[in-house]
Amino acid sequence: MAGTRRTMRIMISTGHLGTAPSGADSFAAAIATNPDYLVADGGSSDPGPVYLGNNSVLGQFVEDELELFLTASRARGIPLIIGSAGDSGSNHGVDETVRQLREIAARHRIPKFRIGWFYSEVPRGVIAARLASGERIPGLGGFPELTMEEAERATRIVAVAGVEPFIKLLDAGCDVIVGGRCGDVCFTAAPCIRAGYPPALAYHMGKMIECASLVAEPFMGKEAIIGTISDEDIVITAYHPGQRVTVASAAGHSMYERETPFFEHTLGGVLDMRECRYEEVDERSTRITGARFVPDDPPTVKLEGARKVGERYMGIAAIRDPHVIRHLDAAIEWSRSASARTFRDVPYELHYHVFGRDGVLKDLEPRRDVVPHEVCIVVEGLAQTETVAHKLVDFATRMFFLARIPGSKGSSGLAACTKQTMRSSPGFVWNVNHTMTVRDPLELFPTHVAEAGV
Amino acid sequence: MPRLHELAKTIRSKNAGVNQVTFDVIFPTRDAYRRVVESGVLSREAVARIYRIAPERISDHVQFELANAIKFTIYRERPSGSPGDWDTLGCQFYGPLVDVEVP
Repeated sequence: MAGTRRTMRIMISTGHLGTAPSGADSFAAAIATNPDYLVADGGSSDPGPVYLGNNSVLGQFVEDELELFLTASRARGIPLIIGSAGDSGSNHGVDETVRQLREIAARHRIPKFRIGWFYSEVPRGVIAARLASGERIPGLGGFPELTMEEAERATRIVAVAGVEPFIKLLDAGCDVIVGGRCGDVCFTAAPCIRAGYPPALAYHMGKMIECASLVAEPFMGKEAIIGTISDEDIVITAYHPGQRVTVASAAGHSMYERETPFFEHTLGGVLDMRECRYEEVDERSTRITGARFVPDDPPTVKLEGARKVGERYMGIAAIRDPHVIRHLDAAIEWSRSASARTFRDVPYELHYHVFGRDGVLKDLEPRRDVVPHEVCIVVEGLAQTETVAHKLVDFATRMFFLARIPGSKGSSGLAACTKQTMRSSPGFVWNVNHTMTVRDPLELFPTHVAEAGV
Repeated sequence: MPRLHELAKTIRSKNAGVNQVTFDVIFPTRDAYRRVVESGVLSREAVARIYRIAPERISDHVQFELANAIKFTIYRERPSGSPGDWDTLGCQFYGPLVDVEVP
């Protein structure tokens, strides 16, 4: 039987394209083994709603990584698949990624190849038609059912694709694929499922390698991993010499970023990991079996949408006076109420992040009552125009300098806040986090194919 | 009395979707895992006490013996990355667990 065993090997070196360069040595070691596919995760909902709402990109090394991946892919004839392009998987993110790849191809004089891409944005009319027909669009994670009013308030909505648009583009002969928003497991699972490997193993391999070297130990980001699928099992291998994929690291990663360690939902069904078995097969690899996949009928797609709150500025006030720190809530209240008086005619939001007390955890902070010797307050303010947001945050920050605290001995300023108020990105909130049924898993994801290279 | 930092191999928190944060405490051995499970310092009730939240805000709490792990998930006050949220990834929510004493 051993002679008839077939396998497919999929390489990944980044769980978030462009946040930092991929480790050069482990990338070189892994690509030298000529894997069948090279894949990369271009983003997710993780960095927050700003990237989807504002069509902006988080990573500063996207171009560097695309260059490394495309040149390696074309030099060796290894197809390249990128999911959730441009952080959010918006149409702009896809178009920008395709444009960057074309430019890199031209610059390196890469011979002609076929590039395919698909979009994930959902036209408002689609949601309007569903709601008008009486269909319910239920919320995830505690969100109420979607209403038309809420859908209309979203700047942009994307649907999270499954494997199908990737498979369609592979069938069209694409050498390089840029996906809109998709499930993190799908850009890996797609070529495996297309080749006839069991979907349960394909999705589980997608889950295991989606964050590249985070599946291995010790903790290292941006190092190369190869997943190998057969008809019976998957094997995950680390390529940084200091890393190993162990039973503990692989089982630990199966529960990463999800509510339960046992299930992963994707367009098309649920991956059930309750019966998985893990076994170390060599110094750096672990073999996994036992995943099951339960198809959905009808298939259900996740929707993500971001609503703009306003333009945003930030200011910083630092306090060292123990008397003021003991009366910190009074100082914050002074800033808040003075702002309410001064900006009473315009809508705005103010948030005070008190680092040294509860800046990270807010209401969850158990040690909120401990009096620190120094605190830093970041004032976050939003308004409908940049001008008002700037003025608001500058004022609310200065109110710590000018705070009126009974019993204070300081009379030259109660906070150090010498740095200029800073412009930030506009503020957004997730307002669509819902699921919707589809008849055809391709219906929301139009595909396109073109030639690139010279 | 040892602290969780000394007994666990991994103590982490991370977004699980846009409105929840999930916590993983993973132990190097079955013995360390069982000791902490049996001590109750990371039970659903204990977690609610540590973070000063109503137990209903904990959406899931499981003991994952295969990975020697205790895992629980809570609802956020507001969706990740909203104005007013600083830890968009939820990656520092685990802080209060590190120094929990284990009998």
